[in-house]
Amino acid sequence: MLRVSLRNLLVNKLRLLLTVMAVVIGVSFVSGTFVLSDTMVKAFDELYTGLTSGTDVVVRSKSAYEADVTTTGGQVRPVDDGLVETVRAVPGVAAAEGSVFGFALIIDKDGVPIQPGGAPTFGTSISADLELSGGGTMREGRPPSGPDEMVIDARTAHQAGFEVGDDVDVVLEDGRKTYELVGIVGFGETDSLLGATLSGWDLPTAQEALGKTGLVDEIDARAEDGVSADDLRGRIATVLPDGVEAVTGEQVAEDSTESVRDALGIFTTVLLVFAGVALLVGSFVIWNTFNVLVAQRRREVALLRAVGATRRQVLGGVLSEAVAIGAVAGLLGLVSGIGLALGIRSLLGLVGVDIPSTSPAIEMRTVVAGLVVGLGVTAVAAVLPAWSATRVAPMEALRDVVPVSRGSGRIRHLAGWVTTGVGAGLLLLIALMGNQRWWTVIATVTTFAGLVVVGPSLARGLARVADHGRRGNGWRLAARNVRRSSRRAAATALALTIGLTVVVAVSVTASSLKDSVTEAVSGGNRSDLILEAEGAGMGISPAVADLLRVRDDVRDVVELREWGAQIAGAGQLVTGLDPRGLDRVLDLGMESGAVTDLAPGRILVSASNAEDLGVRPGDELVVTFPETGPATFEVAGTFGRGSLINAHYVISMADFEANVTSRLDGAILLTVADGIGPDEAKATIEEAVAEYPNVEVNTPADITRDARASVDQLLGIVTALLLLAVVVAVLGIVNTLALSVVERTRELGLMRAVGATRRQVRAVVRRESVLMSLLGALTGVALGVGSGAALARALGDEGITTVSVPLLTVGVYFAIAVAVGVLAALGPARRASRVDVLRAVTTE
Amino acid sequence: MRTEPAETPGRAATETPLAARAVRARKVYGEGDTAVVALDDVSLDLPSGEFTAIMGPSGSGKSTLMHCLAGLDTLTAGQVLVREIDLATLSDRERTILRRDRLGFVFQSFNLLPTLTAEENITLPADLAGRAPDPEWQRTVVAKLDLGARLCHRPSELSGGQQQRVAVARALISRPEVVFADEPTGALDQKAGTELLRFLRSVVDELGQTVLMVTHDPGAAAYADRVVFLVDGAIVEELAAPTRGAILDVMSRLGA
Ligand SMILES: Nc1ncnc2c1ncn2[C@@H]1O[C@H](COP(=O)(O)OP(=O)(O)OP(=O)(O)O)[C@@H](O)[C@H]1O
Ligand SMILES: [Mg+2]
Repeated sequence: MLRVSLRNLLVNKLRLLLTVMAVVIGVSFVSGTFVLSDTMVKAFDELYTGLTSGTDVVVRSKSAYEADVTTTGGQVRPVDDGLVETVRAVPGVAAAEGSVFGFALIIDKDGVPIQPGGAPTFGTSISADLELSGGGTMREGRPPSGPDEMVIDARTAHQAGFEVGDDVDVVLEDGRKTYELVGIVGFGETDSLLGATLSGWDLPTAQEALGKTGLVDEIDARAEDGVSADDLRGRIATVLPDGVEAVTGEQVAEDSTESVRDALGIFTTVLLVFAGVALLVGSFVIWNTFNVLVAQRRREVALLRAVGATRRQVLGGVLSEAVAIGAVAGLLGLVSGIGLALGIRSLLGLVGVDIPSTSPAIEMRTVVAGLVVGLGVTAVAAVLPAWSATRVAPMEALRDVVPVSRGSGRIRHLAGWVTTGVGAGLLLLIALMGNQRWWTVIATVTTFAGLVVVGPSLARGLARVADHGRRGNGWRLAARNVRRSSRRAAATALALTIGLTVVVAVSVTASSLKDSVTEAVSGGNRSDLILEAEGAGMGISPAVADLLRVRDDVRDVVELREWGAQIAGAGQLVTGLDPRGLDRVLDLGMESGAVTDLAPGRILVSASNAEDLGVRPGDELVVTFPETGPATFEVAGTFGRGSLINAHYVISMADFEANVTSRLDGAILLTVADGIGPDEAKATIEEAVAEYPNVEVNTPADITRDARASVDQLLGIVTALLLLAVVVAVLGIVNTLALSVVERTRELGLMRAVGATRRQVRAVVRRESVLMSLLGALTGVALGVGSGAALARALGDEGITTVSVPLLTVGVYFAIAVAVGVLAALGPARRASRVDVLRAVTTE
Repeated sequence: MRTEPAETPGRAATETPLAARAVRARKVYGEGDTAVVALDDVSLDLPSGEFTAIMGPSGSGKSTLMHCLAGLDTLTAGQVLVREIDLATLSDRERTILRRDRLGFVFQSFNLLPTLTAEENITLPADLAGRAPDPEWQRTVVAKLDLGARLCHRPSELSGGQQQRVAVARALISRPEVVFADEPTGALDQKAGTELLRFLRSVVDELGQTVLMVTHDPGAAAYADRVVFLVDGAIVEELAAPTRGAILDVMSRLGA
């Protein structure tokens, strides 16, 4: 049996290739994702291990909880630098140095801030004992010493063309300063820490520059010979005050690697979701292919059965064919996945994300996942067709019956329509109700399941419409062929449906998001200008706000800061601001209480979150800050329009400063004196903050435009990934067409014999393809718009307040889907037109 | 010869009396040692309004000759002319259109597209040409072949004999110069076969069509105006106004 099936496989190489490709794309996505994230984790692990290699024990403040690095930058509460002496005095400590970290933006020779790829721009103290300064090595020059000297990382030096002896301008929290460059630092083989820019001073200078006079963020200690790191940690721990901990360097490296792993986790999950969509589509293609193969081989199977093959052998034969395809697809997918991962990594390198180099990490899990997914998807997809092959009666070998696709049973049919209707109704209901994420998914899947059942009827319906085409232009013959094999046509189209549904749903959601952003800005904003930090930098120096406040042409200046904190067990962003003048720059849309109620000890909560938490004005709410731990606030009011400043929790600036070390502003909203137009205001303020080149001055219109553009950019990336699923669906169409062309050799030959030109034969195949893709496009767009609208309504909490369907975009996708039908038909149509007329008409 | 048709519709009467002919037609399959000479300098005239049968042992080149005459295959040497048009001078597309508009075919089996109804199969050549068939002629043909009641059926709902009649109707719909039929009764039983042959005879007599039929059955060949015997790719004998007995005589003489 195995021999028979393997020979079957090799008979048609093109078919094999197409079938395999449908799975390969999904598998390579899966394995590529794993390889990429494993390689990155490995690289960071090596880096962090290197960084802490000279440090045995790190002393730092305890964090109240494991805060998300992206919202806090890893900042812990600084400790008094007197503690350094205490640690040094512990027996067994060979050396101990305090260090500080903070914001420092290097300005290049043209006055432009250096912010590669939005990576952090940080400043730190560089200890004279370089071993304690995290694996850093002096590439050139010497370590800094004294209030006028600094060092920078090799990447920045190289990029900006700085050399030892140059003067370097740096923007700090409290203003801009100039230092003399005395050295250039590297980190093992890499020039920078993940693309971050680094400014280094000696400790006292760093403390002053970073606004931490008398404080250190951590103390690094090295043990004497013969004292183990664990020993030393224990000894140091006994002398530390409350709230300060001692951890081994190894532990710090592990924690850091772990946080990278966590951060990559989301990224990995998202990529795996895309892979899942591609695999789902792929499994449809496989399912369909095997259905067709089994249908085509009914007589062969019947003959085998007649000469004594058992059902089990027939089942085994088909399944082993599937397993062979799955194994090949799994292997190919694995290999191309590794290539994909390497490709993405060098792409990231090109855009400035400097990932430490290492060899690709191919873990056992990746290999197993790739093979299992490849095999699993193929085998599962082939089970039903294989099962139906076992039900071929031996008698069929003797009769000359053309297998006709039986119409589905009445009950099945009815159930299909009911399911589709329920799903669609549910989507409509969700779109009306809003905030039903999981139900959106359930309703979409339900509708799709219904479509799977009623697909053949839809295909027949569409064919009936196409049947009215003009004589001789191919529509009628195409329609008849679709009608004859409506199941196959539906299955082919449904693969496209899935791809298009996700693409359209995503673009509806994105478009709704864009409109909501516009609405948020125009609806809640009262300011004339909004200042933000350029790129994903750490923020705006508070000196900027001070500078603006004293100007005559500026009326109100409101600073906004945000930081990660934990509320009701979940990580949240807390916004700090000064309520004075807030009403003049921003309408928070207070639903209860007033903005002026925001005093120390009180908090404003967005209406939606207040409802989720079940708190009302007057209730108490505990906010746990990573640096200072839990603090209790009284809810002063609720608001409905926080989306402009992306806020759900607002506290007073006094409370914010008491709990957060960073003094950087996230944004500054201002109004200007009467009589100054927006363009003039922008130009004036831009000039006023010229000293701080990372500050971007935006009018509300700029904000809207930028926000829309960034949604578009994200949409572009997501769509590109999802289009892979559409590519798989197209492979499915090609496959189905190629198979049915083979199947219909005699018919095509007959058509040619009675006078169909090659062009006419091609037209028939092409129209069949267009009919199938039209079916996929219609259902996909309908389902996509429905679930996209429901999804947009479900994401009300994330700031989506309006639902908008981008008609033009959807129309374009529709047109593309149909065009894809024409493209997919190119090969099969050519093949059909080359059918040998004589071979077709002479009975074999 | 049988009686001339009382009335000769269409162009046949006004044009040259030869509907098609082969001139020193030669067809060789393969090359070198394995070369098979399927047709060896065959010359054959097909006069308008005549029913010609080709007979001969299996492998003698009957089908090959018919395919070459019908423009489905090309010759190695020699000429095929349909109404004095040399098929070799035509492109594939032109030959296809010639088949569509001026020639008709009936094969041994699998003549019809299973997705089309009988009527749609009949009008297929006209549809492919993008024009409606002459309704009066269509009615005549359908009536002649007694298909009126079956027009809306799919091929799978028709008997073998009915299917072959639909094929004949399809072949006639464009009022072709020649109708080619390769063993059209091969897959039919005695009764259906006889019926089909009567129909073929009557389209020649009453509609003035030209028919070339390949057959192994002396009884079938006896319906023709003339029988041509082919052996090893060459014409060895011709028999005008054949009877079953005369045909059997020739056959036994040829040892076929
Ligand atoms: N495509 C081909 N390639 C090689 N040889 C061929 C091909 N087609 C036909 N032949 C050979 O040409 C010769 C004539 O074949 P043809 O089919 O014309 O015979 P036939 O008289 O129709 O026979 P039958 O009565 O069995 O149908 C045979 O020897 C056959 O083997
Ligand atoms: Mg033959």
